Amino acid sequence: MTTSVFYGRFERHAHGEGLKGLTTHYCPGCGHGLAHKYLAEAIDELGIQDRTVAISPVGCSVFLYYYFDVGNSQAAHGRAPAVAVGHKTANPDSIVISYQGDGDLASIGLAEIVSTAQLGIPISVIFVNNAIYGMTGGQMAPTTLMGQKSATSPAGRVELMGQPLRMAEMMAGLDGPVYVERVALYDAKQRTRAKKAIKKALTCQVEHKGFAFVEVLSECPTHLGMTPQEAERWVAEQMTQVYPLGVKKDLAEASYPALPRPAYEVERLVAAIAATAERPERFAEGFPAHLDPRDVSLKLAGAGGDGAQTAAMLITRAAIQEGFDSTHIPSYGPESRGGTSYADVHVAREEVLSPAAPQPHVLIAFNAPSLAKFGPTVRAGGQVIYDSSVIKEVPALAPGVRAHGVPMTQIASDLGRVLVKNVVALGALQAATGLLPKESLLAAIRLALKDKCAMIPLNEEAFEWGVRSVTLH
Amino acid sequence: MTQTQTASRPKPFVFPQFCKGCGRCIEVCPKDCIHLAGEIDPRTGLVPVEVDLEACNGCGLCITACPEPYGLQPQPPGAGFELQDPEQLFGARPTAAPEPVDLPDRTLPLPELEPLVVKGNYAAAIGALLAGCRHVYGYPITPSTEGAELMAKVLPGLDGVFLQAVSEVATVNLMYGCGGAGVRSMTFTSSPGFSLMLEGISYMIGAEVPGVFVNVMRGGPGLGNIGPEQADIKLVCRGLGHGNTHAIVLAPSTPQEMLDLTMLAFELTFRYRNPVVLVGDGYLGQMTGRVKLPSRMVVPGRPAWAVYGDREHRRNLICSIELVEADLEQHNRRLLAKYDEMTAREQRADTFHCKDAETLVVACNTPAQIAKGAVQELRERGVRVGLFRPVTLWPFPVDKLLPLLPRVERIVVVEASPGQLEDELRLALSHAGVFKPPLIEHVRRYGGVLPGHAEIVRQVLAAQEVTS
Repeated sequence: MTTSVFYGRFERHAHGEGLKGLTTHYCPGCGHGLAHKYLAEAIDELGIQDRTVAISPVGCSVFLYYYFDVGNSQAAHGRAPAVAVGHKTANPDSIVISYQGDGDLASIGLAEIVSTAQLGIPISVIFVNNAIYGMTGGQMAPTTLMGQKSATSPAGRVELMGQPLRMAEMMAGLDGPVYVERVALYDAKQRTRAKKAIKKALTCQVEHKGFAFVEVLSECPTHLGMTPQEAERWVAEQMTQVYPLGVKKDLAEASYPALPRPAYEVERLVAAIAATAERPERFAEGFPAHLDPRDVSLKLAGAGGDGAQTAAMLITRAAIQEGFDSTHIPSYGPESRGGTSYADVHVAREEVLSPAAPQPHVLIAFNAPSLAKFGPTVRAGGQVIYDSSVIKEVPALAPGVRAHGVPMTQIASDLGRVLVKNVVALGALQAATGLLPKESLLAAIRLALKDKCAMIPLNEEAFEWGVRSVTLH
Repeated sequence: MTQTQTASRPKPFVFPQFCKGCGRCIEVCPKDCIHLAGEIDPRTGLVPVEVDLEACNGCGLCITACPEPYGLQPQPPGAGFELQDPEQLFGARPTAAPEPVDLPDRTLPLPELEPLVVKGNYAAAIGALLAGCRHVYGYPITPSTEGAELMAKVLPGLDGVFLQAVSEVATVNLMYGCGGAGVRSMTFTSSPGFSLMLEGISYMIGAEVPGVFVNVMRGGPGLGNIGPEQADIKLVCRGLGHGNTHAIVLAPSTPQEMLDLTMLAFELTFRYRNPVVLVGDGYLGQMTGRVKLPSRMVVPGRPAWAVYGDREHRRNLICSIELVEADLEQHNRRLLAKYDEMTAREQRADTFHCKDAETLVVACNTPAQIAKGAVQELRERGVRVGLFRPVTLWPFPVDKLLPLLPRVERIVVVEASPGQLEDELRLALSHAGVFKPPLIEHVRRYGGVLPGHAEIVRQVLAAQEVTS
């Protein structure tokens, strides 16, 4: 049964020299040759040779690409399913086959096969289980039977070495796969079934039904130390006891969602990254040189949830809208909420050079530990704005540093939403420092809330209260 | 079964040199037509089967049982098989697949857009989108995750693919598959995750598969912390998995460069068919800044070598195994020649006040930006100091450094690592034949701490005093 899916000459097998150009590297009686043959015939019969990408594993079948006249990719040990998904997502029209042995699939590659199966993406996995490591020389496989001798279970596999892994049953227990069957090669009937199963696994992919998995119980006469005929009998009598043959899962009506095909349209990309050609309105007369001739640095510090990062981001946005350079670096503890949260912000006339703020011009402190920690770092002549609702004591500050106590939490909770205390802080910052014009910060706040318009008046009010709490002092 | 049917079914034949004598066919034959030959075939050292067609009814079971592609065959109709020779039967056939050709990239003009205000991680993601990348695979890890999050958000709208992998190990192999198909892919990761990807990166380099890795480095070793560190410099420059590996390593220092250099990374990874690593630090990934957009976006083509899964590319192979030693040596020679070409063509550096500098600060990533501030301050105080910022860490831009050296009395390496950048500098100088370099001093912080502006100023001034 010749098929054009095998290369006419195996040029990759020792450069195709001599007999190697027309014979496989497999030992006499090895099951891989049969699995290859049925796979090649199925590809031929389905007319998918041009679209097929075969992933060669690590193990005896590492040289799958010697033989199959299809697109070939050779994967690292155990990773064939991931490589297969890479190919399938790169070209949804390709038919991708992950061909793997038991060490590759059921040992080192467990994470990849389980996660890919559960992903359910239409690829076809041919899993050749011969209960032994072949290429490395007959060591114990995850599928080695109890009592079976191997190079690393010389007295036979015992419980301390773990028990044989039933992959087909494991696959069938997952939601992802649409078709799972275990077949064998030991007699004519099984071979017919094996061929049918392999073709069906490919058909599931051609019809875009989903992930298909065929486990092929196979003979390794060499490492079983048997004749090919003894090995066939051993599979029939011993292996099938532990690995029962048959269809484990078959969802006839399955269908997998269409895989995307990328678009490269300017308008869609511009919209996706939220870029705009619209030049924002500018309100500043010039750089706030009264604070620093070139570069003003700020630190905003509090607990996670105080809104220090959001406030910092709004300052940065507003400054950039005004045509200055600005940076914001957040720094927080591992907690998603409630840990420490500090932000370093710079606003520079031309370019922010040192983006950290170890000696800020301005500190906004939302809690006492933050003020205690960073208050003394504020440079001489700088300003500190702190939440006087929660901070009762101001530490010693550098000469000429002005401290503004603003009841941020109080104001925000009076407004009915304690979350806006950072906007109160921004108002206070504006009034105390004149870093940026009011309108500039308000525009940034409005832009940030463009999808929550209802929140804008409350935030404007909070900002105004912040301004007033400083000017009234 | 009628006589006619039997006659129409081809009977088997086998060339003894292609038979391994496994005997699967013997066992399956219902008519006992097949038996092992009496002696070893000298060509194979094996005992082949012999077929006696006297009783054969052409059932074909033996052919189905033969594991060899060119083992037992049906006799071709109308020809005595005695006359057939293997070359004629299954010799080299002209492949039906056409010769693949390179489909070049195209670009599309973008409208004039306002600068974005985005984090470094977002900037890199946007750079990738502009460079035509629509396939992103990844595993969440702080402080790189925003890149993946942005991709997860926008790629569906661009009909692209974001896939969260089961691990970093799977991630790099998803990239191996996608890149092997000739399609652009990338990932965002951070130091511990990057460690896990090294195996796959070695395979990508060996199999010449492109892909872009953004490694936002954090404090180590082990789990370390999520602060900024530059402790993977050794890894990315000298340790990309097993074997003779190298990849171009780009080191941005601002959110703007996170975008620009990610775009460049895609160009380079396809130009050389080799992965490209972009290293940032925790600060850079998290830092929000002004990012200008380019004037064009890329529509990727398809390289001739791709295993795309279509007729044109059917003959291609992505593979890192070379069993014959001479072949592997030859393959390594090719890779080494490629590294030489990268070294000759891709050295990139940025200089700031270097022309008359007597003290040269060498730094990359955020430490370089901090050093820039320090250099600016020192210049205002009349100190002849400049900043030499390697943009490629591998190849180290020593060709850009050498012309500056005659005036330089001291080098101060500023880094968030205990000397990994300095090692690269020293190695590059040594390879360049500079055996008496200027005095090399350093400011080193690590563990998630960056060198400070004041420390750099102090170190340069201290150096200055000693010199004068």
